[in-house]
Amino acid sequence: MRTSREAANLLRGRIAIAALISAIGFSVIAARLVDVMVLGSTAHRESSVVPALKRADIVDRNGALIARDLPVADLYATPAVFWDPAGAARQLAGVTGADEERLKGAFAPKKGYILVQRGLTPEQRDAVMQLGLPGLDFLDGHKRFYPSGRTVAHAVGQVDSDDNGVSGLELGLENRLRTQPDPVQLSLDIRVQYVLEHEAAEAMRSFHAKAAGGIVMNVHTGEIWALASLPDYEPNLRTLQPGDSTRNRMTQDVYELGSIFKIFAFTEAVEEKTISLDEPIQVTSPYRLGHYLIHDFERLGPVLPAAMVFADSSNIGTAQIELRSGPDKQKPFLRKLGLLSPLKTEEPEMASPLYPRHWETVEAATIAYGHGISVNPLTFAAAAAAVVNGGTLIHPTLLKHPEAQHGERVVSEEGSQTMRQLLRLVVTNGTGTKADVPGYDVGGKTGTAEKAENGSYAHHLLISSFCGVFPIDDPQFLVFLMLDEPHGNKESGGFATGGETAAPAVGRIIDRIAPLLGVARRDTYVAANP
Amino acid sequence: MIRILNFTLIVITGLISLGVYRVAEQARMTAIELRETKTVIAKENQSMTVLGAEWARLTQPARIQALSERYLSLNDHPAAQRASITQLPPKFATPPENAIRNASAVISQRTPVVPNLHAGT
Repeated sequence: MRTSREAANLLRGRIAIAALISAIGFSVIAARLVDVMVLGSTAHRESSVVPALKRADIVDRNGALIARDLPVADLYATPAVFWDPAGAARQLAGVTGADEERLKGAFAPKKGYILVQRGLTPEQRDAVMQLGLPGLDFLDGHKRFYPSGRTVAHAVGQVDSDDNGVSGLELGLENRLRTQPDPVQLSLDIRVQYVLEHEAAEAMRSFHAKAAGGIVMNVHTGEIWALASLPDYEPNLRTLQPGDSTRNRMTQDVYELGSIFKIFAFTEAVEEKTISLDEPIQVTSPYRLGHYLIHDFERLGPVLPAAMVFADSSNIGTAQIELRSGPDKQKPFLRKLGLLSPLKTEEPEMASPLYPRHWETVEAATIAYGHGISVNPLTFAAAAAAVVNGGTLIHPTLLKHPEAQHGERVVSEEGSQTMRQLLRLVVTNGTGTKADVPGYDVGGKTGTAEKAENGSYAHHLLISSFCGVFPIDDPQFLVFLMLDEPHGNKESGGFATGGETAAPAVGRIIDRIAPLLGVARRDTYVAANP
Repeated sequence: MIRILNFTLIVITGLISLGVYRVAEQARMTAIELRETKTVIAKENQSMTVLGAEWARLTQPARIQALSERYLSLNDHPAAQRASITQLPPKFATPPENAIRNASAVISQRTPVVPNLHAGT
């Protein structure tokens, strides 16, 4: 017989064991509750119901969507479980857009694992589910979609079938697009981009040009608001249509740009103080330089003020002015402007400039009017922006960066001011009159370069361009337009020069985009009577 | 006394077990609801992603321009017809002579036809 003391001790022991077990049990429950409610360890598992997108969105400077990964699915079938393979092929072809005959052929043996269609949208996927067919598998994936299609194709580039960037910003910003959760905001403005592309296409069609391209850039921030290259391509198709091109002519190609290069010859002359703008310059044609003869497009002479040499775009006058400085000063000056080294931007495909290894007197003279040196248009635009923005170098960017860049000073304030006056003179009294837009005070320079063919320059194959800046008293934006092999028409009086083809197009572009850029007209009561 | 205590503890343990079971069951049901809600949210987000892309496609400038040309009698207005409210003259100001003039006249006044020709030397 146990005594009452022994029984009480036994009971106490049992109660202690029960209490311990209960405590352990409650501790486990409490730990799990904390795990579920506080730490939320199941949240990650549950959030994977819909697969996360792989690349960040790309948006323009106003937040308009440019590129986005959309959820799609690849559909596979196991024909062995189909009762009626031909009927299944017909039904699946109907809702997925797949080729019915291909599916019939693939399903007929009733074996294997057959790809029905790639890239099904959620709606197509629902439609397939509605069919109620057995033996179907969906493989979730993504497809990059470009809502603006061709409009920004060259600047943005595209991805391959594995969603890896292969060209343009999709390649240049690959790491950022892979790691950044928020959208990548570009400097492009989709509205300005459309206007530039539209006017470039109109000019290309009107003058039967082989290609065209253009740039709109803020000369203080270096932001590229628009960058167009034609012919372009449809990035959503993943294949090229006849006449399409993936070549971005603004960055990948280099050109002898012709007379718009005179901007740099005159900037150098103004900086070196080798000219007085009203001094008479002999422009009697032809001008002999050693064994070479330099001609002007039309007879201008015999004498022009130096300012009108620029406004009327005299090769002879410009060559003489350049030779006052000579190659020893010209080459370092162009190097300082960034015209002799490859431009660094977010665009990965950037062509390097081509220039002569032996840079002597003749080369200096021809480079002064834009022959003998080849640069891509974006490199040219960056250098031209530095000339007009007060004289500081800018680095073009395709990312939104609204703060002004304060780069290295390459031109004096006074020199920049003088060049702005000269550029305005081109539009009021020179070769660029067709670029004028009332109220916006456009300044600019025309360029008409002959293309090299079979070792010599072909008079009928031209690169015609215009570089405009506005408003000229305090330039904010630069608009460049180039036409490759334009042909004169009735509107241009049969001429295919930059002043007759590209200049009017730039004028129309400025007229359309100035309100979008926030540049106010100057010819108002307030402006005229400050 | 011991029996009463044992019985009471057993009853309490039973009640606690029932309570724990009820809480666990509620938590399980809530977890299911949460998972379903998260699935719905994810699908809605996915739909918004698709709809956002569709909206961007429908509102692209090229399409708007084409629709405008097709259905509206709107044209691009030349710069000469544009002004903002801030560019209007003060209410009681007397317009100076020739205050209203064409743009090219203003341009030629503001920017000399021949620039400062002595700037270079």
